[in-house]
Order: sequence, then C-alpha cells, then structure tokens
Amino acid sequence: MKRTALTQKLLVLGVDGMDPRITRKFLAEGKMPNLQKFIERGSAREDLRLLGAIPTITPPCWTTLATGAYPGTHGITCYWRQSPESLDAVVYNMDSRNCTAEQIWNITAEAGLKTLVWHWPGSSWPPTSHSENLSVVDGTQPGSVNMGVAQLDWEKVIVASPEIKEVRYAPRVDKPAGVGCIITDLEDSLDADVDDEMMELWWGDTAREGGEIRTFVMDDEDTEVVIGSKVAYDIVNSPLKDATGWANAPEGAKEFTILTSGGVMRRPALILKNEAGEYDRVAIYKNKKAEAPIVTLERDKMVSGIIDDVTKKEVTKPACRSMKILELDPVGNKVRLWISNALDIANDQLWHPKSLFGEIVENVGVVPPVSLIGGEDAELVREIFEPSWVQYNQWQADCMNYCINEKGYEAVFSHLHNIDCAGHQLWHLGKTLSPWDHTDEKTYQGFIEKFYIQTDDYLGEFMHLLDEGWTVLVLSDHGLIVGENVPPIIGEYGGLNTKVMEDLGYTVMKKDENGNSIREVDWEKTRAVQIRSNYIYLNIKGRDKYGIVDPKDKYDLEEQIISDLYNYRDDRTGKRVIGICLRNKDAVLIGANGPECGDIFFSVEEGYNRLHGDSISTSEGYFETSVSPIFVAAGNGIKPGFTTERTIRQVDVAPSVSVLLGLRYPAQCEGAPIYQIFSEDV
Amino acid sequence: MSLQQLNSTGFEEIIYDNCEPCLVIFSKKECHVCKEVVPMLEELKPQYDGKFGFYYVDVEEDKELFQRFSLKGVPQILFFNNGEYQGKLAGKVEEESVEEKIAEVLGV
Repeated sequence: MKRTALTQKLLVLGVDGMDPRITRKFLAEGKMPNLQKFIERGSAREDLRLLGAIPTITPPCWTTLATGAYPGTHGITCYWRQSPESLDAVVYNMDSRNCTAEQIWNITAEAGLKTLVWHWPGSSWPPTSHSENLSVVDGTQPGSVNMGVAQLDWEKVIVASPEIKEVRYAPRVDKPAGVGCIITDLEDSLDADVDDEMMELWWGDTAREGGEIRTFVMDDEDTEVVIGSKVAYDIVNSPLKDATGWANAPEGAKEFTILTSGGVMRRPALILKNEAGEYDRVAIYKNKKAEAPIVTLERDKMVSGIIDDVTKKEVTKPACRSMKILELDPVGNKVRLWISNALDIANDQLWHPKSLFGEIVENVGVVPPVSLIGGEDAELVREIFEPSWVQYNQWQADCMNYCINEKGYEAVFSHLHNIDCAGHQLWHLGKTLSPWDHTDEKTYQGFIEKFYIQTDDYLGEFMHLLDEGWTVLVLSDHGLIVGENVPPIIGEYGGLNTKVMEDLGYTVMKKDENGNSIREVDWEKTRAVQIRSNYIYLNIKGRDKYGIVDPKDKYDLEEQIISDLYNYRDDRTGKRVIGICLRNKDAVLIGANGPECGDIFFSVEEGYNRLHGDSISTSEGYFETSVSPIFVAAGNGIKPGFTTERTIRQVDVAPSVSVLLGLRYPAQCEGAPIYQIFSEDV
Repeated sequence: MSLQQLNSTGFEEIIYDNCEPCLVIFSKKECHVCKEVVPMLEELKPQYDGKFGFYYVDVEEDKELFQRFSLKGVPQILFFNNGEYQGKLAGKVEEESVEEKIAEVLGV
C-alpha cells in the first residue's frame, strides 16, 4: 500500500493526566497562551476532548494510543496484570512483551524514519523492533526518566538549630501536615526496612522480577488518595554552632551536619553571612578540610545538577541531587534545607541505544530528580514539589529539542508525567471533604493551576516546530478529577478491593480472634473477587486454584453479582456507586473484553469515582475537572484554525499518525484516521 | 590494648573533624560474638598505631549512632577515612578480613 505523506516529521507531545475540561477553564482565563496558539494554528474539537479507552488507566491508554487497539485487544488492561496463579495477586505490566498489538513507532522506524520513543509508559520498553532507526528511553514506570532504576537515596529535610544537641537521623518519616521536622521519638519513627529505588519503594524487588504482589484495599486508609497525600521523607536534625576545625570557613559562619545515604554519609555545611551581616546562604562541603564547597545555595532558588557521592548497599557512586533552602534565619538561629532524592548519573540501563544516554548527559545535562513529597504539606508543594517539576520539564524539553535539532529524529513519541504525578498527590485536596478538612481547597486549586501553567510552558518549548515543517499532536491518556465524594472501596487499581464485595457476600476474608477481617482471603467461602481497576473474577472450579463455583453456575452468578452491584448504595450518601457492569463477552462494546479483563467489567459512577481509572472517561468532577483525555493537532497536514465535531477516539490516533506520515496501519488497529482534520482528502 | 569508646560527640570529632582513617566496632556488653571479636581487634590495634584508629561504640549507651547507620544487629565494624564511610564487616569476622579491609581503606 502506498500513500503520499502529509508530513515528513511528527511529534507526539503526550502529557499524562491532562484534562481538556479544566484546560479550557485555564485557556479562557488566558493562562495557557502556548496551547492557545496550537489550537489556533491547528485542529481540535470545541471541547478539546479525546474519547478515552477503558480502563482510564495509564499503561492501557498509552498502549492504545501507540497501537490503535482497544485494551481488550492489546492485552494491557490495567497498571497491573492478573497473576496467572492467584486470583488475589497481580504482577507488573509495564513491559512491552505483554502487549499483543503492534506499536506505531515500529512502523515509522522500519519505514526509514529516525524514531524516538521518550518515556512512553505503555508497551515501549524493551524495544520491540530491531530497526536501527528506533531509539527508546525508559518507559518502565510513568514517573520520570530513570526514576525506577537510578534512585540511590531518598529526599530529606534537614533542620539545624542551636537547641538541637546532637545529630539525629530518622529515615522515611510519615509526617502529618503542620508538624515540625524535629525528631522527638526516634523509636517510633523508624521503619524496619527502608528502600530507595522507586520500584523497591512501591512494590519490592519481587515486582521488578515479575513476582506476585498482594495488596488489599480494605478501608479508606488503604486508598491511594490517603496514602499518596502523606508526606514521607528522611529527617536529619543537627546542632547549629560556630564553625570549628574548618580549613576554609568564612568569618561568622556557623556549621551544621547533613546526613545522606541511609545515615552513613555525612556532609558538613555552613550558613554564611552577607555584607549586611545577615545569614543568607548555605554552603555544603565534602568534609571540613575541603577548600571549596560542593554547592552554595541562595534563598528561594532551587539548584539542580549537584553531583555528590552516595552510598547504597555498600556501593558508592556519584549521583545528581537538587537542593533548596526552606528557611534560613537572618540572625543564624535556624536553618531548614531540602535535598532531593539522588539519581545515579551513570545508569543507562533503560536507554536504547546506550550511546544516546551519554550524548544527552554531555549536551543537555544529567537527569534531574523530581520531588515526590508534598501532599498535604502546602509549603513543600509550593517550594519543592511544583518547582522540581518545572526543572524536570525544562530538561526533558531540552533533550527532545536536542534530539530533533541535532540528532535528526523525524518521528518523536513523548510523554511527560507532571500533571498525573501531582494529580495523584493533590487533586483530591481540591475539594475539602471531611477526611482532609485540615487542608484548604483554594490552596490546592491554586496548585492545579500552577501545574497547568508549567505544562503550557513545556508545550511552548516546541512551538518553533510548527514553522519548521513539523506536525505536533498534543494529547493525553486520561484526565484526573477532583472527587465530589470520598470514593467507595471498589475500583482501586492497586490491588484486591474487599469492602463492597465483602458487604455483598462474594468475597470472604479470614477473621482474627475478635472477628475482624484480616488480610487473607478465605477461598473456601469466596465466590468472586474484585481486583485491579475494573475487574471481577469468579472463583471457578477447575479454572482457579481454590475454585468453589461450579462452571455451570457461572452465568447465573454473574447475573446475580451484576444485579447486586447495581443495587449497592454508598453508606455515606445512600446513592448508587456502580456505573456500568458487563459480562466479559458484552464488554467488547467498550473494548474491555478478552482474557485479561476478568469475568465482569464494571465502572464506578460519576460522583463516586476516584481520580481516574475506575470510571468511564466521560466522567466529570468538582472544580471543572474530568477524566477525559485531550487532543489537539497542528502543523503540516492539519487544517489550521479548524474545529471538528467528529468524536475522536484514542484508537484513532495511531492510524492518524500512519496517514500523516504515509505509512501502513498498525496490524491490530481498530481505530480510523481523523480524516476530517487533515489538510488534504485521503 | 583496649579500644577507645566513642559517644556521639567524640564520633563527630574523631571520624569527621579529624578525618582520621579508622574503624569503629558497634558492640554491646552481653553479646557473645562481640566478646570474641573485640579482643581480636584489641590484639590487632598495636600493629596500626599512628596509622589507623580503633574505636568502639556501645550501642546500648549510644543507640542513636546505631540507628543513624541503619545497623541491624551487633557486632558490626564500620570503616572510615577522610570523614567518608568506607564500608563495614558484620558478625563474627576473622582477623584476616579486618586486615584486608584496613589495607583497602588505606589504599595499601
């Protein structure tokens, strides 16, 4: 098949979690001028919406965008994959080898276009084409490049004052909002084991190795919005005193101590006076004998690219950190300092070809760490979390522009995670509900705005491409809502959701001596379980390890469960919480059928859904939010200033890329080109 | 020759301010293995006089130092040079292992 290309160069600017509904609010307020220009110079629907694939979960949706196939077809149906061994366990799923549909970037590379896949969290790693035109960077987790494999040390807040008498270190402290960072009871603050790599932190080494993970979501405390908004970081307390024993300490400097690397690495630091006699800088040294500091920090300025040795598991490596002064008393009686997680500056494990890593480091810079602390602590969100993403966004934009301008890439498929990362920590605080009524929704709505503004700045970094013959697609996998209610315990993607299914009598948990449920399923009494975002599995004899349901009763039991789920009412409001509920064979209507989709697919009803993932993509939330993804196209081959009424589905993106570049469609593609927006009839 | 005990202040001065190459055994009085390892270090110490320091921390008296280094169990011998942590040896260690590690730290 031959077709004339409408463009020779195409960039997909993916922004995880970008929601067209709230985007339109910020556009109307004039806060997203760069996106406004893309819209004016290109095509989109009036509402900017893309109809999202189901489930509205990151890896399935990015895989749909890459393949043009529905999740039931490409087989990536949640963040997790169901364990083939156990109904109550999941295994990791961000592995391209699990994908049963062809990715568009293999087609562009094999057709001779130099292709870059940049941190695409859906079936991109490991590379699935041998074409030497294909480069792939990470894609094994959605956070930021290298986050999953290069992390050597965790984030820390250091507090030093004259009242503190000795250096103390407390790893990974869950800090309730508003409580100062002074270690008062070390025994209570210590975890048994503390890991630093994100994969270890989240799920343990077993996850990376493909082992089973069992997570039980039994009450509000187990839900992501509660867990995600807790702020956990290492705390170091140090005396602050006159500098003694230094090779080169300026007049009037006071010293304190920073501990890193699980407490084994120590860096002496000084607070320094300015000409007016006020303390306004912090200098950090390798040791007291060092002539020059590793870095000197000024007030209100985050510094990244700080290279220092970090020890992890008895191995010492140079790592990149960011740092910022949180508070510095001008008369020198207190200093508070944040230091970021540390990223190994030499880890090229997830770069293909590996030479690209070296070129990026040399020409753009080392990968800057992003902060993952903030949550209910508004100061940390304002001072650390949001600005760390601004720095990362700039680095990523610089990397992609370097690859485009200097390396001659012609097709670029990219993903940025800033909005989704913030969404999972903060968005639920955009409405003040009772469990988090110690926070202020206006403050958090302001943070939502800041993340959209920084996204607009990122998009602006690529505006020049429209004048250089490129086609640019701005799109997302899903949006995130600010919840109207505290979500019910069903549909949480992280594991086995027990409460609703226990209430309905289908899942039975083992009990302790007081009759309370423990975190173990009683398989002899369990007829069905709800696991991952939207799936219910019956416990069938002969099929499942501990099956008790006769296969001939399966159809009737499915009907009973569907009926009970529709009748289930939220115990706080008395309203229905289940949206749609379909047998596997019927879920083909929404592309959520087949062997990876359980026996029953269900969604959580609008108003009761969590950030994203459990509802259908048309759900809307508080503060003009929605679960819908966004789509805007501009540049060569796209009608300028055009508004279409066409419903644009996520499966339509990959075949549209095919048409724009004059290439064949992906093998399992189920979508259709968005021909209405093309500049020529095809 | 007995080992000099360090508390957290002494630890700061000797290890970090003086940047001395040294080892510190974290031990406690009632630990059987410690009772074997500490005398071994005491015997070894004179050979390194003036070149490499030998110290001990009683983890019951200075719990925070033990926690700060995320240690689990005693005895553990931590090595330092130029104020930098250089690794550790845990449990019932032989004299040769300690000598090898000292040579490594001193870059001999």
